[in-house]
Amino acid sequence: MFSLIIRRILMSIPVLLIVASLTFALVRIVPGGPFDSEKSLPPEIVANLNAKYHLDKPVHEQYFLYIGRLCRGDLGVSYKYVNRTVNDILFDAFPVSCQLGIVALGLAVIFGVPLGAIAALNRGKRQDVLAMFLSTMGVSLPGFVIGAVLIYVFAIKLRILPVGLWESPWHVILPAVTLAFSPGAYLARLTRASVLEVVEKDWVRTARSKGLSEEKTIVRHILRNSLMPVVTVLGPLTAIVITGSFVVEYIFAIPGMGRFFITAVMNRDYDLILGTTMVFAVLLIVANMFVDIVYQWLDPRLRME
Amino acid sequence: MTAANRSPWQRLLKIPTAVLGLAVIAAICLVALLSAFGVELTPFAYDQTSSDYLAAPSWLHPMGTDELGRDLLARIIYGARLSIAIGLTTALTAFLIGSVYGAIAGFSSPKVDALMMRGVDIAYSLPDLLVMILIGVVMGRGTFGILIALGLVSWMGTARLVRSQFLTLKNEEFIEAAYAQGQSNLNVILKHLLPNALGPIIVALTFTVPSAILSESTLSFIGLGLSPPACSWGTLASDGWRSLRAHPHLIFFPSLFIFITVLSFNFLGDGLRDALDPRTRLGKGK
Repeated sequence: MFSLIIRRILMSIPVLLIVASLTFALVRIVPGGPFDSEKSLPPEIVANLNAKYHLDKPVHEQYFLYIGRLCRGDLGVSYKYVNRTVNDILFDAFPVSCQLGIVALGLAVIFGVPLGAIAALNRGKRQDVLAMFLSTMGVSLPGFVIGAVLIYVFAIKLRILPVGLWESPWHVILPAVTLAFSPGAYLARLTRASVLEVVEKDWVRTARSKGLSEEKTIVRHILRNSLMPVVTVLGPLTAIVITGSFVVEYIFAIPGMGRFFITAVMNRDYDLILGTTMVFAVLLIVANMFVDIVYQWLDPRLRME
Repeated sequence: MTAANRSPWQRLLKIPTAVLGLAVIAAICLVALLSAFGVELTPFAYDQTSSDYLAAPSWLHPMGTDELGRDLLARIIYGARLSIAIGLTTALTAFLIGSVYGAIAGFSSPKVDALMMRGVDIAYSLPDLLVMILIGVVMGRGTFGILIALGLVSWMGTARLVRSQFLTLKNEEFIEAAYAQGQSNLNVILKHLLPNALGPIIVALTFTVPSAILSESTLSFIGLGLSPPACSWGTLASDGWRSLRAHPHLIFFPSLFIFITVLSFNFLGDGLRDALDPRTRLGKGK
């Protein structure tokens, strides 16, 4: 187990290096620098700024400077948020996005998994059709539409929840619900497929034929075995939540990583773009690593190897 | 006649949601096509301004007007062209890149194949929107840039599918027979393998269209996609967002069309999958 974790951590280093290099290349190919704004600065000031941030050096030197700083855990300085380092910004933004993402994932599991299980256990009946209709709606509604409807109904018309910002627990509700739709629908579909597969297995027939009650068969034999694939999709779920956070944090004006990423792209704030992308990459790698480890732990056949 | 004996097309027409989806898609495509050929479907042009700005829906303007007094229905019909075109072009790009990549992987040595598919795995695990935004930084935010970004994130599913189909089909007797006739690799791929792998590919592409429409509208909504004067459902919704409080109709109608179109494609995709593979059907019993 321990060697597995070490091995996975070592394997993720080249992946991170590739992500860092690709993002660096992408961002630097772009015409226009961070100091091209509408009101043009005097050329001397631009030159000074470029010199301060090493933007006047050849690209390969900038690259090695950047990778060197990355290795020391220094993500650089923001060009737009004066006097704030990227580390500072992300240090504030990460917990916000993390809380939002975890609450949303929790909601998605609480609603999505039972919905899928109910659908599968009533295959072809009204509950199944309704559940699948709901989950198709969930994947067909863009996040900004869900957010707009929720804001309009609960914040503007009923005035029971705040329109946006990130201050009290009340501020978490609408964004988290908005963010939960897509992973919830994904989980419902996955759980349904997984339960349908398990229902056909021999051990379920054995359980029934030895006279086990339907409830016990469902809980002990069907649900327990069909939850395994559900545990292993944390990787894709993290990706879905990151994608959703761009929209949700934009709509609700939440100072999280998604919002900083978008404003960084708009402002061509190089180091902030690179830094946020690196944090997203680490997050995805950790999620996938966690899945691999849990998978081994859950499935004794894999533990043997 | 049992369900399994019918042709996939007949089975598809037995699924109400799929038929509904197909009808809605056909109607929207027809309207978009007519508009593209210059047929005037509304009394107003999409860019015709008037003093009647920010009007609520009425008989004259069934969906109201925007802040420049332009008829929203006319703008939505005009925007349908771009949104549908983006969805279809992305599906085509995904098909082209995906089948070439998948075919090469499926036909290569196991080592090359494993390497190529590992690359797909990594690319697949990245959030689409993140990659699209980064590509958009380089490619710009015009229609062409968006299409490139969409194409580059959409082909991985098709590639996986084509590869696995090829790996299974490669050892079938009819392929052996084709080789025995002295047909070239390319010929076998184009005339025998691809047609036989087409079913699952079509299903995958049917799901590519709505996800492309969603991605484009989301990008435009957060201000990193198309921007005016380009007019898609995404830019219309983005415009409407700013006046959500006072004039909710401006975001409601574009969103409704995005939702209906995406839902229809998803229904059609589900239907096609069930029709081509009766085992996954929502049918009664087992």
